[in-house]
Amino acid sequence: MVAIPLTINDRPLAIEMDPQTPLLWALRDAVNLTGAKYGCGNGDCGACMVLVDGTALRSCLVTLGEAEGRFVQTIEGLSRGGLHPVQQALVDEGAIQCGFCTPGMVMAIVGLLDRTARPSEDDIAAAIPNICRCGAYPRIKRAILRASGQRLPRREQAEETPAPGFETAPGSDPT
Amino acid sequence: MDGELTDKPSRKFSVSRRQLLVGGGIGAGLLLAWNFWPRDHAAPLAGNEGETGFGAWLRIGEDGIVTVAVPQLEMGQGVTTLLPQVAALELGADWRMVAVEPAPTSAAYANFPLATRWVPIWRPTLAALAGDESDMVVRNFAEGERFAATADGTTLAAYETPLREAAASARAMLCMAAAERWDVSWEACRAEGGLVLHEDKALGFGELAVEASGFDPPRVPPLLPVSAADTGEALEPDALPATPRLDAPAKVSGSYPFAGDIRLDGMAHASIRHGPVGDAELTRFDPAKGHNVPGYLGLVKAKRWLAAYATNWWAAEQVLRNIAPGFDTPEPVETAAMAEALDAGLRRGEAHEIVASGEGEAALPDRPTLALRYDLSPAPHATLETATATARLRDGLCEIWVASQAPEQMRQAVAAQLGLAVEDVIHYPVAAGGSFDRRLDHDHAVEAALIAREAGRPVQLRWSRWQECLAGWPRAPMAAVLAAQTGADGQILAWKTRIAMPATNRELGRRVFDRFTPWAAMEAAEGEEDVLAMEGAVPPYATQNLVVQHVPVRIALPTARQRGNAPAYTAFLTETFIDELARQANREPLGYRIQQLGGEPRLVECLERVTRSSGWGGGLPTSGEGLACLRMGRADRTGRIACVARTRQGEQGLEIGEVHLAVDIGRIPNAEIARQQLEGGVVFALGLATGSALTYAGGLPDLGTLGAMRLPTLARQPEILIELIESDAEPFDPGELSVGVTLPATANALFAATGTRLRTLPLFAGIS
Repeated sequence: MVAIPLTINDRPLAIEMDPQTPLLWALRDAVNLTGAKYGCGNGDCGACMVLVDGTALRSCLVTLGEAEGRFVQTIEGLSRGGLHPVQQALVDEGAIQCGFCTPGMVMAIVGLLDRTARPSEDDIAAAIPNICRCGAYPRIKRAILRASGQRLPRREQAEETPAPGFETAPGSDPT
Repeated sequence: MDGELTDKPSRKFSVSRRQLLVGGGIGAGLLLAWNFWPRDHAAPLAGNEGETGFGAWLRIGEDGIVTVAVPQLEMGQGVTTLLPQVAALELGADWRMVAVEPAPTSAAYANFPLATRWVPIWRPTLAALAGDESDMVVRNFAEGERFAATADGTTLAAYETPLREAAASARAMLCMAAAERWDVSWEACRAEGGLVLHEDKALGFGELAVEASGFDPPRVPPLLPVSAADTGEALEPDALPATPRLDAPAKVSGSYPFAGDIRLDGMAHASIRHGPVGDAELTRFDPAKGHNVPGYLGLVKAKRWLAAYATNWWAAEQVLRNIAPGFDTPEPVETAAMAEALDAGLRRGEAHEIVASGEGEAALPDRPTLALRYDLSPAPHATLETATATARLRDGLCEIWVASQAPEQMRQAVAAQLGLAVEDVIHYPVAAGGSFDRRLDHDHAVEAALIAREAGRPVQLRWSRWQECLAGWPRAPMAAVLAAQTGADGQILAWKTRIAMPATNRELGRRVFDRFTPWAAMEAAEGEEDVLAMEGAVPPYATQNLVVQHVPVRIALPTARQRGNAPAYTAFLTETFIDELARQANREPLGYRIQQLGGEPRLVECLERVTRSSGWGGGLPTSGEGLACLRMGRADRTGRIACVARTRQGEQGLEIGEVHLAVDIGRIPNAEIARQQLEGGVVFALGLATGSALTYAGGLPDLGTLGAMRLPTLARQPEILIELIESDAEPFDPGELSVGVTLPATANALFAATGTRLRTLPLFAGIS
């Protein structure tokens, strides 16, 4: 079998696998990068999202052959030097429960913010089709706003530095 | 006497509680298991080198790291934060230096509250025994079966006290060690932030751990006072949590390992095919069709499934796709037949009377004020992680990595299939990528072990999404009638709830505890009453005459418990019905409820708060406002919740735009996690309410993908606003309450918006 060359998390690699294999399984089972998850295999859930040449794609829908020569970034490559701001925002907003959708969610958000620094609600809705069965959506949305500088930190800091234009009374949501 | 509350430090007794608690030969740290003294249970974990112990809740390393054993499955509900937090607060630990260890099963971690609640599941005849005798049987069962299941919101009820006692004992011992160094009274010392303090002196836990293990703790663990005020600040919606989730950093970095992320030397990846639902047996397949798939390693065949294993999962899946094995299905599930059986049961079936008071059914006239029919479809759990298990057999042992809500019963099942002793099945607990009670079943663990044995190498089995949809048993479908007779002012004089559904908990009990096949379990449960399946069917509203009936119906579909459990669907029935009663009496839904809630002041308070905070306008026609309330639990632990849901016009039609909750769940150890659970429950309920109906034809479900289920997405989320009510009652698990209240509030809101009453779940089952 021919080895297929691509770059994963800045490392050039050649993967010896059927080129029809979805990238997800090349990452998980050949390279042992298990951050991207299998939830559906047909693009419904987004748990397998990675960045391919900077674009967030469902790695279950991209074949290894199609990824030849491309730059793939996985969640493992994202957090090598500590948490990425998107990851930190998800932690800070309490947007993580079972954690199975989280890596795909992170990559989708990173992909979104790379293109749209201050996404609107519509931008978010369009760019994040990922399914979270724990129902952390309201917090995920807040984390996206926070990571894009559109939301104040939570209350403790907010009291120290009141920012005009943001309603921070208890019970209200600045989003 | 070996001690009072104010024990002086003592090292002279040769047989001491310390030795029972701590065990000998401790090098690196201190092991404690206070609660289970003096019963002698096998050590759940062999300690690290230099450590021994029997039963363990806490370990304190020389580096000051406090490790807390968690004998419950983390499935997103935050248990690996909540239990360590209980211990850390009591111990006076520094939260940044608290670690978690998923604990393997042990009698030391028996879940007594759940064993008691689930008597109708594992030993229905026990209810007839007298109190003490029954307690003893429950205790023996829970310890003997190492029953530590994670379910039914019992975690805090089961483990809060043992953990606090263990931590309080450890704190006393640490104080004793410090006190001896300083030559002061240990009672004058206190523990805070991982330090023992006395006036201006301080010593870290790590420095003291080894010495501390030499002291006898007081006979009664010196517990700190607990009050709701501890979390008072955190009850505010935007407060930062004092004890943030311990699992969040690893989960967000992608390094948190699920069962499918385990990697073993020489491991193969397996995929599997089960037959159509209906006791299908594998009858034909052509092995040659899989051989040309690159990475193919082999096939394993069983009576009811075929598995392929390969160097990667996709290859294994391709092999099965090419082979397309054939099954013979004697009783394929058909939705039409299921609906017919439920309908016949509802109309004519013999009922078990679960609850009756006053004159019961006799109080209802032939033509009561209101009698309505409800039909609920089966509901899939749709966990994002499909059933996955990793197994390795070597040296006569089976090691298994799997997320299990009933881990000991899973071990027993694997042991029985492999012909091993239970002790030779080693379970490494891993977290679940969602469960919602789906991981009470453990077929995939047994399958993984069998495939690993046949393959002669470690195997990771992963069910495809289609297999999860096909062979993961949903919450039971049901048909129900609610009827009421009311007086002139709308007052309820008589109430009847009659539900036709399979004895789903009895089935589950036989699968989980007795290792029946799903088909044998259904047969055994036929005609049985299911008390747990009727939970919550008694309305909170005052009525002189009441009857709740369960008509057990045999359907061809195996069924399971699900997040929210029975109160989720019984609340849907009760709270939409009461809404219709109110409208029939020309009454406003809030006032009508409150009038009938004389004995429930706290539920009334939830209703008053949520209607105040949401600006409830009376639920008038076209308002799109729906109200509901729910009480769950028993006398000593009760949760109450009220909900106002409001519709909005979305791009794809009417949707729920706002969900307001007022929640009374007693003391709230971690308000952040409580909010996560309440919010998640709302979203889960919206999936049940507005998702697709699950139907079967020829034993195959029509919902084979997540997309087909129309699950909630980020794009169409309501605003969820939660008011937590301060209370010092025993804590009640918040994870299921909001599921039950959101379902009827949603239905009532849609009625208020459109004037159309939807008496099905999912709501649009009869429409699309």
